[in-house]
Amino acid sequence: MRKLPRSLRLYVAASTLYAALIFFAVQFIYTIELAQSGIVIARRDNGDVLSSIQLVSFIVWLGISLIAAVVLHRLATALAGAKSAEAEAKTAGAQKDLELGSIFGLSSALAGPLDLEQIGAFFVAAIRGALPLDMTIALIVYDDVLEAFRTVAADGPLAADLKDRSYSAVALPSIVRVRVIDHRQSLVISDTSADQPMWAKVSEEMPAFAGARSFAALPLVSRERLVGSLLLLGAHAGDLTPDKAQMPVIMGQYVAGSIHSALSVKEAEARAERETLVNRIAQRARGSLDPDEILRGTVDELAKVLGVSRAVVAVGDEEATLEVLYEWVAEGAPSVGTGPRELPVSRLAARMGRTLVATDVRSDGRFSEPKIAAALAHLGVIAIAATPVRVGGRLAGSLALVHTDRPREWTADDVRLIESVGRELRGAIAAAEAFEQQRQAVKELERLNRAKSDFVSIVSHEFRTPLTGIQGFSEMMQSEDLTLDEMREYAGDINKDAHRLNRMITEMLDLDKMESGRMEIHREPVDLNAIVTEAADRVRPNAPNHPLALRLDPMVGAVSGDRDKLTQVMTNLLSNAVKYSPDGGDIVVSTRVEGSSVHIVVRDHGMGIPKAALETIFERYGRVESLATRNIQGTGLGLPIVRQIVQLHGGAVWVESAVGEGSVFHVTLPRGAAASAEVAEVAS
Amino acid sequence: MSKVVFCEDDPMIRKLIQTALRSTTHDVPVADDGKEGLALIEQVRPDVVFSDVAMPKMDGFELAEAMRARPDLAHIPIVFMTASVQRQQIDECFRHGAAGHLAKPFTMAELRARIAQFSKN
Repeated sequence: MRKLPRSLRLYVAASTLYAALIFFAVQFIYTIELAQSGIVIARRDNGDVLSSIQLVSFIVWLGISLIAAVVLHRLATALAGAKSAEAEAKTAGAQKDLELGSIFGLSSALAGPLDLEQIGAFFVAAIRGALPLDMTIALIVYDDVLEAFRTVAADGPLAADLKDRSYSAVALPSIVRVRVIDHRQSLVISDTSADQPMWAKVSEEMPAFAGARSFAALPLVSRERLVGSLLLLGAHAGDLTPDKAQMPVIMGQYVAGSIHSALSVKEAEARAERETLVNRIAQRARGSLDPDEILRGTVDELAKVLGVSRAVVAVGDEEATLEVLYEWVAEGAPSVGTGPRELPVSRLAARMGRTLVATDVRSDGRFSEPKIAAALAHLGVIAIAATPVRVGGRLAGSLALVHTDRPREWTADDVRLIESVGRELRGAIAAAEAFEQQRQAVKELERLNRAKSDFVSIVSHEFRTPLTGIQGFSEMMQSEDLTLDEMREYAGDINKDAHRLNRMITEMLDLDKMESGRMEIHREPVDLNAIVTEAADRVRPNAPNHPLALRLDPMVGAVSGDRDKLTQVMTNLLSNAVKYSPDGGDIVVSTRVEGSSVHIVVRDHGMGIPKAALETIFERYGRVESLATRNIQGTGLGLPIVRQIVQLHGGAVWVESAVGEGSVFHVTLPRGAAASAEVAEVAS
Repeated sequence: MSKVVFCEDDPMIRKLIQTALRSTTHDVPVADDGKEGLALIEQVRPDVVFSDVAMPKMDGFELAEAMRARPDLAHIPIVFMTASVQRQQIDECFRHGAAGHLAKPFTMAELRARIAQFSKN
């Protein structure tokens, strides 16, 4: 039998008792009244009627009582129901008020301009009251400057693992990344133990989440931009459900707007700061033409702003030949010095044509090759950012910023800054190149100028010597009484000196003509051996201390050439041999046939020629000026003339020499010089 | 009679000097270079030395130095004959202890006047 409700039983019992009481009371009163009145009926009735009336009234009373009990019970139940409903409504309202209050409180707290940390603190304070105390809250923000997520506020039992952390998007658990970051959808897992493998994976990817029994990751989106995520980690399964996550979602929308503003301000500030710096750097770079000054103004500034240990600017057309042009070193940091250096990272950046950054080269697979690792260790590099510098599309150098003290996570902002300074360096490097070229040109001009003035003084000296004779002898002839023989003799001397002077002038003019291509050579078959012999005969009288030996190959025969010019070649070479061996010594001239050319060798045992001058002596005014040659008169034109003539004949001239051991001059002339000259003419 | 020693490597100028001074009573030994000149100076002990600068073996400046290094020759004045007209080259002569400078080409009158300037009698 179904048990009656307790209250109903009570009512039933009470009603029955009441009915019984009424029954006995009525019967008692009725009996007394009958006895006193002595009504006939009672006698005649002998009590049966009385009993029936009593029974009926009892039953009626009982019925009424039962109905009343049921009604009362219903009423009481309804009343109690109403009461509890009212109380319930009251509680729900308070919760709603709390939530609304949180939201309004949050929205008003977030009204002013705030930084991310302030926003985070307000947010956590506001949402805390609306969530269970054992639930962990973390607000992570996507920092565009860092290009990573960063916890700006966290609260709750699991907060310690999340506080002050930053993680790149890829470091987030893949389910969070895909769902929340990529698709901007809320992720709510009311019971993390429901799908063990999935949660194990999440926990592995993000150990800070492991302790959560229920989990929610809500995207924070403001004006189409994902600014971050709200993470909720419940201590019990079911703490978080899609319904229960509604309120955090709404609050998240409020906070997303504020975060967006704060980020925009921060980004604008960072951008402005960066632009100011770049402008300042650019101004310095363009304000000067002196590469050193440009480098000082740009690289130093950048290095100080980034707080690196060392900044290195290298120049080079190829990645393999980078030379350190400029270096800035923080106090106490090791220097690499300028000049050619092994710069593996700059080299790699140059090869790849883009900026290369390494947080810690010691644990970076790209630089693990022993040779590269050793080079980097030698330079003390730990963290490095290197960018190639290109001028007009080709490699001109590189800019590298180095930490020798610690690893460094280079931010996208750092990289952009380094790249913009790298671009400014183009000017400096181009200027440095131009500067260097200019300096070379000036140096060359100075050298030529010096050579020219030396030449002028040499020429004036040389010219004045024969002039002294001409002037002196003619003066004597004019002023003194002389015999006819004396007159003739002096006239002869004057004539000799005049010829000497003429020869000098002719030499100068000849060389000028040859160098400007106006010299004509009159070709005819010339016996080279005869020319050598004639030149030797001409030199011998002036060289009593120089035994002159000729070793002539009879097979040489005739070559096609200009007799006078070739004689000049031999005379110049032989008189040089004499002039530059002041202490005497053998001079040997030899000729021999070598294939289609004739090879003439003039060997002396004189002072020799320094290695550096072996080529320059053939240049105009390129005479070696030294203590040893100071006393030797020469115009510096003899060898240039030799080379010009030999080249006009299609031949070559060169010298082998060692200082103190003498010199060997080689001349080769084509045997068929006439033919080859004609071919050359046709070809030209 | 003044005693003069000349050092000159150019044969024509040597001849000119000797010819020009031949008519005078001067004793005119002329050396080919500084080395020979120094030997002549030791031997002749002249009142004055006239020397070319650019000469083989020992040039004029080296000759002046060698003379200064010798207490018995240090007092003898030396006059450089150069073909230079540039101030700095003439100055260099004086820096090397020249008592005078005679620019080539010179006239015979100039030469005689210079000799007379340094003659002791």
